[in-house]
Amino acid sequence: MWLLPLFGLIIGAIIGSTIQYQIPTIYIKYMSIAVLASFDSVFGGIRAVIEEKFDGTVLLTGFFTNAMLAALLAYLGDRLGVDLYYAAVFAFGVRLFQNLANIRHNLLLKFRNYRQHKNMD
Amino acid sequence: MKQKWLLPLTIVCIISSFSLAFQLKILNYSSNSNPLSEKNTNLVTIINDLEAEIKEQENQIEKIRNDLSTLQNQQVEGELQELQDELQKVKILSGLTPVSGKGIVITVDDYSQGLQANPNDDPNKYIIHYENLLNIVSELKVGGAEAISINDQRLITTSEIRCVGNVILVNTTRIAPPFEVRVIGSPKILAEIINNGELEILRTSNFPVTLEEQNEVIIPAYKGELQFNYSQAVKGD
Repeated sequence: MWLLPLFGLIIGAIIGSTIQYQIPTIYIKYMSIAVLASFDSVFGGIRAVIEEKFDGTVLLTGFFTNAMLAALLAYLGDRLGVDLYYAAVFAFGVRLFQNLANIRHNLLLKFRNYRQHKNMD
Repeated sequence: MKQKWLLPLTIVCIISSFSLAFQLKILNYSSNSNPLSEKNTNLVTIINDLEAEIKEQENQIEKIRNDLSTLQNQQVEGELQELQDELQKVKILSGLTPVSGKGIVITVDDYSQGLQANPNDDPNKYIIHYENLLNIVSELKVGGAEAISINDQRLITTSEIRCVGNVILVNTTRIAPPFEVRVIGSPKILAEIINNGELEILRTSNFPVTLEEQNEVIIPAYKGELQFNYSQAVKGD
């Protein structure tokens, strides 16, 4: 069953690469923030699953509000002439690394516990 | 229990990979084409089409003129013959017939090696400008040139030599280097005057310039339209 998200990834990639719709070039920046936000949510979700405190509502609302806020920041930055866009990129980037590190930690701990138990038995 | 996280995570996965693929595709696309160059390509095709049309119409004009001259050459009788001789003379003067005779052939080209050697220099110093051609033509006319053509464009009374961006127009036709100027006239006088004039200036700037005296220079006829709508002969002259 854990393969379903993987299938989701593949399906999304296929749809994204076959769709013919073109967005104006000025919005490419916002799209890239959306990409970062969604990957942040994916890794956050995986981490929550491993830590066994997953909540679907939290994940989905977090995803959309994060994306909105990032787009808003980028837009505001454009208006003000400050690259606030980088703030969003930075925040998402840091969180991506943290989530990845947490996932690795937890997996490693679980693996060690599992081995210890096996040795004890 | 396990089902709880499956659906939301799948949704987020679909969205994220969708936006990633979409973004990658757009970035690929936008690096390959920008709207400005697309617009320019459109303009270039329009220009090419129009030029092809001009060429076609010029050929038609030439054909009709040929028909006309064969018709005119048919009847040969007394006074008419005199008139026809005069017509032929006027046609030669106005540049509507191909002519041949003694003369010189000048070629001038951009100094591209110089530009390659000094890529940071102003490229304008290494290309032939329309002023150079204008000066050459003016000097040739002073030297008694009877017929002149630049890259097979016959110069007549209405011909222009005009700079349009990075090309030169002669008879509203684009011409490109190397420029070949054919002249009919006294080869000695023409060579003398041009060698001490514009060609000398171009040579000192290292432009590749050649000058050849020939016994038989052939100059094509003017191909465009020639019609005076406003000029009229003054009465009582």
